[in-house]
Amino acid sequence: MTRPTLAIAGLTACFGCQLTLLNCEAELPTLAERFDFTYFPMGSSRHDIGGEFSAALVEGSVSTPDDLETLVKLRSRSRILVAFGTCACWGGVAAMNNHLSREAMTESVYGKGAGPTGSFNPCPLHRFVTVDFSINGCPPEKHELLTTLAALLHGTLPVFPQYPVCTECRNRECLCLLIERGEPCLGPITQAGCNARCPAVSIKCEGCRGPVTEANVASELEVLLEKGISREEVIRRMRRFYPEWDYGQRS
Amino acid sequence: MGNVLEIKPLSRVEGHGTVKVSIAGRQVESVQLNLIESPRLFEALLVGKPYDELPEIICRICSICSSVHRVTSLQAIEAALCIGISEPTALYRELIVAGGQIESHSLHLFCLVLPDYFDSAGFAELATKAPAEFKTGLRIKAAGNRIQELVGGRLIHPANLVPGGMGKRPARDELKRLRDELLEVLPDAVKACELFATCPTHLHPANFTPPTYLAVQSDDSESSPVKQLVTSNGQGTDITRYRELLPEQVVPHSYAKQSRAGGEIVAVGALSRLNLGIQLSSRSAQAFFDARSQLLGAPISANVLAQGVELIHSVEQSIALIDTLLDHPATCEPRAPLHIHEGIGTAALEAPRGVLIHRYELDNRGICIAADIVTPTAINQAAMERDLYALASALTGTDESELKRQLEMLVRAYDPCISCAVHVVRI
Repeated sequence: MTRPTLAIAGLTACFGCQLTLLNCEAELPTLAERFDFTYFPMGSSRHDIGGEFSAALVEGSVSTPDDLETLVKLRSRSRILVAFGTCACWGGVAAMNNHLSREAMTESVYGKGAGPTGSFNPCPLHRFVTVDFSINGCPPEKHELLTTLAALLHGTLPVFPQYPVCTECRNRECLCLLIERGEPCLGPITQAGCNARCPAVSIKCEGCRGPVTEANVASELEVLLEKGISREEVIRRMRRFYPEWDYGQRS
Repeated sequence: MGNVLEIKPLSRVEGHGTVKVSIAGRQVESVQLNLIESPRLFEALLVGKPYDELPEIICRICSICSSVHRVTSLQAIEAALCIGISEPTALYRELIVAGGQIESHSLHLFCLVLPDYFDSAGFAELATKAPAEFKTGLRIKAAGNRIQELVGGRLIHPANLVPGGMGKRPARDELKRLRDELLEVLPDAVKACELFATCPTHLHPANFTPPTYLAVQSDDSESSPVKQLVTSNGQGTDITRYRELLPEQVVPHSYAKQSRAGGEIVAVGALSRLNLGIQLSSRSAQAFFDARSQLLGAPISANVLAQGVELIHSVEQSIALIDTLLDHPATCEPRAPLHIHEGIGTAALEAPRGVLIHRYELDNRGICIAADIVTPTAINQAAMERDLYALASALTGTDESELKRQLEMLVRAYDPCISCAVHVVRI
């Protein structure tokens, strides 16, 4: 039986999604048996991007011509393209200031005319190519990655929860940081799947998994404004992983 | 007629980099290490954000070093706002930094470097050629990740650590389970160190200049207020004056800025720490003693073995930290009260790859108006280029694929973390 061929690539990112794969310590030897990691520069010095891939998992946002070239190559050679992690799905942290001038930001960092050129505002993959499947999260959850890989072995794709972090948080009976403490928790509008990791340790949800389908954004905004949190702060927090919210959206 | 040899991309390293060697006849003209990670402009992302959001954003600079970035960032903010933290909070931070080091060192040693020892292209091939060694490494790595998950709330980008305290402390029985797991992998760590001490390196013994080592030194605990940057040639400064020792310059071929100490090329990381005499736990001290001839004053090729010694140290240190924590009551005291005022805070810690410095300026509302981050790979960049030049020169005439393999192994010895290095700084 031929093994599925995988491409694992990173664009503009922290390599955390690829690290999530290498963090599957118990499963890694089995994964090495079942898949052919044909293109995975972080994990192998033999990396061939010329062939065809059963699936490509792409981490990161697109912000340079090199990123775009890699992405287009992988799209055209892969049967399934997976946006791997929040940067690839939504833009992620690097995109939070996309409403500001990139030129001014670059100059503030490298000095006038000294900085690297050719980079542009970080964008999610779907801005440029068709994306077949998404694994959310900053960082992504190991179990969602492994479920996806297992499904690929069977020629299918998994179904992930389409409800907000609040559902998982209530199931775990955590204290509601939004209602009880008036903190700007983004659980109500954020895609579940993390089992409410942060609220479970009394830390408000920062929205790292991106918007849940049919998020009631306007209502979240109203509740937080009622709690006395400024609109500026709410929007700044919401923009951290996804800069393009529709603030008037109601489910 | 000159020709140019290019390694693109550098593989089995974290981040995007390339090496370009220009050769004229049998003479190496120049070597360029290009750190071409797309710039994410982190400094510009931090400016305008309130102090409590900075650690949450900046840990995303790098996945492998996210815990130590988070803790360094918290310390810099607490220095700026004059916030003291409780002893258990300080101990938990030390624990997560140790856990990050276990994870990072074992990832580097077993997934990125070990394939070179077994003539493998990567972890997948290694899993069939040396399954026992590979699985040993993964067990140690998993223990490091267990620490990060338990203390930080998740494996990467820890959430549980905040200015002045923690969200929630781990339960005692979970700490005890973690302790058991660490005791189980301690013999593995000792074995790992022996493996790297006895396995012959495939790296060509070029005439590398032994580096000038640089490290952070403090009295003992991470909460210690007095920290110094010291070098092996006798330079030293208080960490708040790090720019006097480490001026940075923008180089045209790289998105990372280079740092040199007093104009001299320095190296940071495990080998530098051991040479500058960090305190070691008992079994790691023994391992260091046994391997001292390979480590003292050694060139960077010994960095891999140095990481092996530190692997033992971090496991033992974590066990000791948990023992101390188990003596403290498990309940969380309220977070230290915060009085927001303007201030400047600098913090320095030893990340797995070496000296890491964060510095923030806050205005009177606690909003960040300037940020500066010095990463180990940015400091090592100049030393890497120098050694690449020496290696390429020693290997002129070697066939191209072997030359590439050798140059990549040398870069790997430094354990570069390119996504960290390509950061953004304003002074």
